[in-house]
Amino acid sequence: MRPLHIIACVKVVPKPEEIRVDSETWTIQRDGVRSEINPPDMNALEMALALKEQHGGRVTVVAMGPPTFVLYLRLALAMGADEAYLLSDRAFAGADTLATSYTLAQGIRKIGDYDLILCGEESSDGATAQVPPGIAEWLNTAQITYAEDLEVLPGSGMVKARRELTGGYEVIQAPLPCVASVKAGANEPRFMDMERKAWAEAEGPLTVWTATDIDVDPEMIGLPGSPTIVDGVAQAEASERKREFLAGTPEEQAQALVERLRAYL
Amino acid sequence: MTKSLYGAQEASAIWVYLEQNQGRLTGVSLELVGKARELTDGRSIPLVGVLLGDQVSGLAQEAIAAGADEVRVADHPLLRQYTTDGYTKAFTELILAGKPDILLLGATPNGRDLAGRLAVRLRTGLTADCTDLRLEEDTGLLVGEVTGFGGGILAYIKCPDNRPQMATVRPGVFAVPAPDGARQGKVVSVPVNLAKEDIKVQVLEHVDGQGVDITRAQVLVAAGRGCQGDLALINELASLLDGEVGVSRVPVDEGWASRDRMIGQTGYVTRPKLAIVCGISGAFQFSVGIEKAETIVAINTDAEAPIFEQADYCIVDDMFDVLPPLIEAVKRARGGNGGR
Amino acid sequence: MASQPVDSVFLEDATWERVDKATGGAAASCFQCGVCTAICPWGLVKEETISIRKIVRQAQLGLPGWSDGLWLCTTCLWCESRCPHEVDITKASLGLRRLAWKERQVPPGLPTLLWNIYFDGNAWGRPPSERPLWAKGMAVKEFAPGDEILLYVGDDAAYDRRVQKVARALVSLLEAAGVTFGTLGEREPSSGDPVRSVGHEEYLAEMIDANARLFQEAGVKTMVTISPHCYDMFANRYPNLSGGFRPLHYSQYLLELIENGRLKFEKKLPLKVTYHDPCYLSRRNDICDEPRQVLRSIPGLELLEMERSRQDTLCCGGGGGRMWMETAGGERFSDLRMREAAETGAEVVVTCCPHCLSCLEASLSVVAESKLRVMDLAEVAHLALQGRTATSDVASRRP
Repeated sequence: MRPLHIIACVKVVPKPEEIRVDSETWTIQRDGVRSEINPPDMNALEMALALKEQHGGRVTVVAMGPPTFVLYLRLALAMGADEAYLLSDRAFAGADTLATSYTLAQGIRKIGDYDLILCGEESSDGATAQVPPGIAEWLNTAQITYAEDLEVLPGSGMVKARRELTGGYEVIQAPLPCVASVKAGANEPRFMDMERKAWAEAEGPLTVWTATDIDVDPEMIGLPGSPTIVDGVAQAEASERKREFLAGTPEEQAQALVERLRAYL
Repeated sequence: MTKSLYGAQEASAIWVYLEQNQGRLTGVSLELVGKARELTDGRSIPLVGVLLGDQVSGLAQEAIAAGADEVRVADHPLLRQYTTDGYTKAFTELILAGKPDILLLGATPNGRDLAGRLAVRLRTGLTADCTDLRLEEDTGLLVGEVTGFGGGILAYIKCPDNRPQMATVRPGVFAVPAPDGARQGKVVSVPVNLAKEDIKVQVLEHVDGQGVDITRAQVLVAAGRGCQGDLALINELASLLDGEVGVSRVPVDEGWASRDRMIGQTGYVTRPKLAIVCGISGAFQFSVGIEKAETIVAINTDAEAPIFEQADYCIVDDMFDVLPPLIEAVKRARGGNGGR
Repeated sequence: MASQPVDSVFLEDATWERVDKATGGAAASCFQCGVCTAICPWGLVKEETISIRKIVRQAQLGLPGWSDGLWLCTTCLWCESRCPHEVDITKASLGLRRLAWKERQVPPGLPTLLWNIYFDGNAWGRPPSERPLWAKGMAVKEFAPGDEILLYVGDDAAYDRRVQKVARALVSLLEAAGVTFGTLGEREPSSGDPVRSVGHEEYLAEMIDANARLFQEAGVKTMVTISPHCYDMFANRYPNLSGGFRPLHYSQYLLELIENGRLKFEKKLPLKVTYHDPCYLSRRNDICDEPRQVLRSIPGLELLEMERSRQDTLCCGGGGGRMWMETAGGERFSDLRMREAAETGAEVVVTCCPHCLSCLEASLSVVAESKLRVMDLAEVAHLALQGRTATSDVASRRP
């Protein structure tokens, strides 16, 4: 087998507590908010780096988003990734999961020679979990979603993974190339190596591709390529704790509580 | 614009994916049938359940009793176990033959695995993990309510042109309808073209139920010093709610519980939907492990305990007095809604 | 490791030299006398103590698992204070941790600690927007260059509900003394102490640079910290902060206020207390008298001493990053400390460090038969100022 080439897809997401809806325009204000690498994507990246340590090969990171994401891709390089690509073009903006998975898949095709594509199970902002299966479909590969543990079986060109299911799990085997989405918390992402960080900032191999750099149909990217539309947004109720004290006898308290917890029962 | 494989003019009916696991229908499938029935009320839209598996036609009647007009059954030995490849191929053929207007799936791990793949194959839009559904008054378009940004934002999403309009729905947001055994419906067996080579993936092992992992628990019942070593009621409530038992540091120190159940800074950081915290005062090192819970209930004898500052519902009483009636009340409440 | 015969190890210069490089040669003057290992406080609770000599040797040989014992060290400085050759053992210990980071031999939880600080600016992974919430309902303003002091709140007092009460008590004292002060609010950075204590020196250097610039730009001169760990950072590890920069622990500042007559305790507080010296004040910075003098200035208060006090204090167990690692029941120094405190007959153990406060309170159960409480110095002083006699409403609660 040739050296393993793992591609880790990452997304940069705003910190949830920073998000506000503009009460006049009813749009989400993303400007100037603090962001981070989507936490499950960090787990995917960690899995990629650990597999590289085990089997050799290289790790490439790919993201789609505005030029500011370069900063975060450098963090991925500082953690140990070998190179990074940012797909960045105004034409990509407004993409739903169909257009996003298409764009990423075309970027990945252009990077080429991939064996394993790792993504986080879902993003903390959109929380759809649909992009990894979408990439697998566009690239016509096997997919393993919600992987907790993933082994590359040397020589056989296969991966074996434990997938998390509702109240259980399964162990499945799939041929490479393969797309896997990694369960949040599947591992603990390593901290950056500061020497690598200095290298990443000075001369890290980071490439920015626009829509013309990758082979995309302009009708299938960004807002035009997205069949779903957002019909409105609203701020969910404040997340502050209710601190409601339930009074009465234990029986009355229990009954009052059950009435308030119906959604969970 | 990415065109779907068929258009809105050709599309009709609401389809619900009847997800089965080891020959049992998942609760969310019936919840969706119930909700779809409600959506079609007053409109002449057929409601079709779709069942994939190996010798699963016996489950069709359950969906009809819950409100389906028709159930299409795709029976094939290669569908005995869920695989992305097998289910996507069989389902795509069904969809292209039947051209549904709307397709609803439960947002379970396999439901989302399948939906994500199907949506791209059909080149259509998918609204993921909905917390509510409605049909737009004038257009009849499906509008899905989704939460984003850790639950802080609600968005309403629709798919005007591409078909089917797909949505996955979070388990538990709709009620399982009371079954009506007298309801009649059609059960249609549909052909399946599937060969071994179509399926790239091999399922080596399938296990229902697993070891302790409190970080994954949707419901956590947590005990601290106040339980004085007696976790019987805590265990009972946790299993009643399909949850896990978590503890603060004291029960671990005292040997009442194992370390893999410890919540907190030096234990596990958890994010359940519901946490019922009993007899724990709520020191900071504990509370950082539970604060991401959607809803927190605190039961403690000490009205001044800091845990009450971060709870949604607070009961100042002895957990041993409150838990028995609470367990009874939960049982009563779940009476008509069991077996999810 | 002991099972592996040393002569089977192939010695490579690079393996050997990486240890000298990481520790900056701190262990070079070690004569292998073993005093440090013999007196390490872990010996009070465990059979085996930290043998920095052994860890250095195993690291030099590149033996697998060489770093296992390394993370126990609370950096309490007890060994160093008794070392006949004045070896900088903390430097060696933190240098070895730095090497362990390089070689990815780090206990679970610590990478997350660093990411929390990186993305959220605090050790607890909480939003910066919540940083000022401890002062809710109080008039605490943003620091301005004309203010007498900058109050550096720190991660613990900002986010830990228990320690928030200490910060609030301190604010009341500052207000009573008429001090003009402010905080950096949401902009307040982590001091870097958790990063230093887990040995990530390179990241720490980056933080110190950024923080020093922030303090300089804000025009900070006198800075008062709540945590001794933060005080130690600003006093000893921020080389670029000079030119009138004057970091103080709040116990020092309270004493200044008392000596200048700005803060007076006129009412009696009949309370028997014992004082627990935090390592980072006493052994590390020779601040033993100031907190005691603050206590002695309170009329009616009786100060009882534990046997291990001042420079001989016993660590609470929370230093050296141990706040982010679990210490098994039966192995906590704070259990021993609470028993010692109970033996003095005191009603309250007073300390002035958030880590000591947390650890000692978590060990209250070992002295359940006594009426002992744990309070912070600021809380005692605030109580004295109010002239209240009951301790129940301010004193810590039993967990």
